[in-house]
Amino acid sequence: MNRIRKKAGLLLLPALLLVTAVQAQRVTSMRINEVLVINEDNYVDDYGKRSGWIELFNTSAGTVNVGGCFLTDDRNNPKKYPIPKGDVLTRVSPRQHVLFWTDGVASRGTFHLNFVLDPAKENYIAFYDSDGKTLVDEIIVPAAQRPDISYGRKVDGKNEWVELTKVTPSTNNLTLDTNEKIDNFKINDSLGAGMTITAMAVVFLGLLVLYLIFKQVARLAITLGKVRAQKTGEETQASGDISGEVLAAISTALYELNEDVHDIERTVLTIQKVKRNYSPWSSKIYSLRENPRK
Amino acid sequence: MQESLFSFLGENLQLFLTYTGVFNAEPGHFVMIAIGLIFIFLAIKYEFEPMLLIPIGFGILIGNIPFKDAGLQIGIYEQGSVLNILYQGVTSGWYPPLIFLGIGAMTDFSALISNPKLMLIGAAAQFGIFGAYVIALQMGFEPNQAGAIGIIGGADGPTAIFLSSKLAPEMMGAIAISAYSYMALVPIIQPPFMKLLTTPKERLIRMKSPRVVSSTEKIIFPIIGLLLTCFLVPSGLPLLGMLFFGNLLKESGVTRRLAETARGPLIDTITILLGVTVGASTQATQFLNLNSVKIFALGALSFVIATCAGVLFVKFFNIFLRKENKINPLIGNSGVSAVPDSARISQIVGLRYDPTNYLLMHAMGPNVAGVIGSAVAAGILLGFLS
Repeated sequence: MNRIRKKAGLLLLPALLLVTAVQAQRVTSMRINEVLVINEDNYVDDYGKRSGWIELFNTSAGTVNVGGCFLTDDRNNPKKYPIPKGDVLTRVSPRQHVLFWTDGVASRGTFHLNFVLDPAKENYIAFYDSDGKTLVDEIIVPAAQRPDISYGRKVDGKNEWVELTKVTPSTNNLTLDTNEKIDNFKINDSLGAGMTITAMAVVFLGLLVLYLIFKQVARLAITLGKVRAQKTGEETQASGDISGEVLAAISTALYELNEDVHDIERTVLTIQKVKRNYSPWSSKIYSLRENPRK
Repeated sequence: MQESLFSFLGENLQLFLTYTGVFNAEPGHFVMIAIGLIFIFLAIKYEFEPMLLIPIGFGILIGNIPFKDAGLQIGIYEQGSVLNILYQGVTSGWYPPLIFLGIGAMTDFSALISNPKLMLIGAAAQFGIFGAYVIALQMGFEPNQAGAIGIIGGADGPTAIFLSSKLAPEMMGAIAISAYSYMALVPIIQPPFMKLLTTPKERLIRMKSPRVVSSTEKIIFPIIGLLLTCFLVPSGLPLLGMLFFGNLLKESGVTRRLAETARGPLIDTITILLGVTVGASTQATQFLNLNSVKIFALGALSFVIATCAGVLFVKFFNIFLRKENKINPLIGNSGVSAVPDSARISQIVGLRYDPTNYLLMHAMGPNVAGVIGSAVAAGILLGFLS
């Protein structure tokens, strides 16, 4: 019984660690992305009010639920605003945004924080994981922010912070209308030689390393085989000594044996009439069909 | 009263006629139906890849029945239609990895493990992909489109569908049809170039019999293969991951039922769905254009380049090998991953020159290496161009 428990424990432990790691990895992919401190003539909330806001961005390729995590403007109080659990809207899709209003009226709903950003001084903002201890992201918004100009990352999720004259709540800070990678290839590798050389080098490298590894594995296997044969006192015979025809004959015999081909069949050939009464239970058309085998 | 009834019936009949295929037919539909019929003919008469050409050929017929666009949800491109739902396995790219799972569960890598240097032939044949990529660029295709077209040279239908669905979804139908057609036509495309590039003496080279591979080696292979190739090219993970996973199911010896399901009912089901939906996606209105013609031309070219690259690489490789280790260049063509057709071509061509020289087992080495190589190449293209 104890052994079974130990085994179960051994199996469950990595699974638990894996689940925890995946969960942690997902929340840690959230970033504070854009902040508007003074909202005079900008985005209006669902109550028709204007107030500052904080935008979070999911940098990952998976959906992240920020419910249960914390937002704060106080270094000494990481759990200042617990984001409510159970709201489907706290699930942030891959590479998408979620907006929180800094109006100080948390009773207005999930996305209304219980603190207000102060335009007169610099504002500290932090996002904590659901344990309230793991800091996911923090930012200090400089003092003297101008009205309707936000402070955000130049490109979503990237490190560089700038003043954004084009305020972009819940959308990309920088709109990309081209594929940078493809443009790069068009400009720098119009002949395709760069791609060919790089890709073929990688393909060769991969298979070359695989070749080298299995060359060593083969040597080891042959050596071990010889040692084993010596131990058992058997004479080893290289497979190369047997001709292809002999191998083919052995293979055919084994195949036929496995495929149930017999010289003597079990069925009996008779000229007597065998009568079987019909019943739906013995009908072929109602029976289960085997998968066809060639 | 009677007159109004006749007029009502007449109007109804007229309306019905507008819904018929005959009323909505365009010349393109008949061209595509003819192509579908040719596929079915080739599959039944000459047994060219019948498992693929029959579903694709019939799918072409299904996809080219003309109908009135009246929101009836019957076409493959109409959201919510049955065909559209089945087609999602192609557009979102989850059919190909499942096919790879089955391929892994039915592939025996022994030939490759016993003579690992054959892996390099599988790498060399990938020149077909990048040769076609270079030419496609010069023909004015965008780099992502050129990458999707180039992968036809990998001679691997699932990989071609997977990559084109990511890089150039608008060309996927033409690319898939082209890839599968040329895979079926391998017996016609490859032999002339194999003969052209080899001397009579080279065609008679006898290779050493492959050694017996232990089960431990067979188990290690998919694990090391996965770790190595995917650490190098993570974007190949969906294909390579499933390929090696399927192979471990086969070789572990303890998951026989899973392996049998993967290489039997599962791969059969997915092949049917993939074939018929890819075929049906070739609606004349979407398919018949100049780009499709270019894709077909480039596809043929990529197969030729891949075959030549494989054969020439073996000749080059032989310079560095001792006499007893020399490789018959007739197995160079099997570096393209049309498993096992291209290996079978090596065998057939080899037997013509020496009726006792069996090359099949040797050719299976580069053949399965080609599967790995083309999946790695697809991963690289995806990483660079997506």
